[in-house]
Amino acid sequence: RYVRQLQRLQLLFSPTAADARGARQFVEEAAQDFARQHPDVVLYVSPHSGPGPAPVLRAEYLNGTVREELIASMTSEEIVQLATKLANQSGLDIIRIRKPFHTDNPSVQGQWHPLTNKPSILTVQGPRLQPQ
Amino acid sequence: MVVLSAARWLRSRLSDRFWRVQDVLKYARHFRGRKNRCYRLAVRSVRRAFVRSTKARKEKKRFLRALWITRIEAASLEHGLKYPAFISNLLKSQVELNRKVLADLAIYEPKTFKSLAALAQRRRQEGFLAALGDGKEPEGIFSRIVHQHY
Repeated sequence: RYVRQLQRLQLLFSPTAADARGARQFVEEAAQDFARQHPDVVLYVSPHSGPGPAPVLRAEYLNGTVREELIASMTSEEIVQLATKLANQSGLDIIRIRKPFHTDNPSVQGQWHPLTNKPSILTVQGPRLQPQ
Repeated sequence: MVVLSAARWLRSRLSDRFWRVQDVLKYARHFRGRKNRCYRLAVRSVRRAFVRSTKARKEKKRFLRALWITRIEAASLEHGLKYPAFISNLLKSQVELNRKVLADLAIYEPKTFKSLAALAQRRRQEGFLAALGDGKEPEGIFSRIVHQHY
């Protein structure tokens, strides 16, 4: 079954700042619908009064990564799109993946070493090899 | 009273120059010499590094193919076959493995590679018999071609 990797979304904004208008509209209109559509994500809305830092949407994932996105001067629809994008992501770092494949056991028959295709007389040691 | 000419006296000055400079220097941090510290030198070096990295994507393909071919050649020589003979006979036996997979098999699955080399050797012998024999002998077993209809 699918387990959503997004744990919680924290919406930190100031109720009086001008650039948090989209955040306030989001909270008034679309936050409830978003929370109903994503029942396994916890949505925290924490307005801090007075002039504070810029409005931020903080996403925390199950593997511990915390991702903060600025929502200053964004409309309510854009914030909804951003929140759905964060909800569909996993918490892995967004860097270039070097290889699209990975194995813990790359070799089934034993990795090649310089003595694999040589006659076994070179590797075997013991009293059997001594001439009688 | 609005003074319209006051606007000419205002000059807009950059306030985030530090971050613009850091955006470039962060790609130059692992360079050697002053080009990892000084912006003027770093700009040129970073641009050249980006251009080289885009051009090198084509060469990477050539380089990796040459690497695989070297490895397959070394592995098949261990089993007594030369690379052209190995590849051509493998293709004639309808084993369409590419060089990347063959190189990985040669490293991580040496017994499988040995059996592939034996297959290529057998197909080679059958090819010689068919070409030189010119007789009433039946065709070799491994020379049979399987037709797939999709």
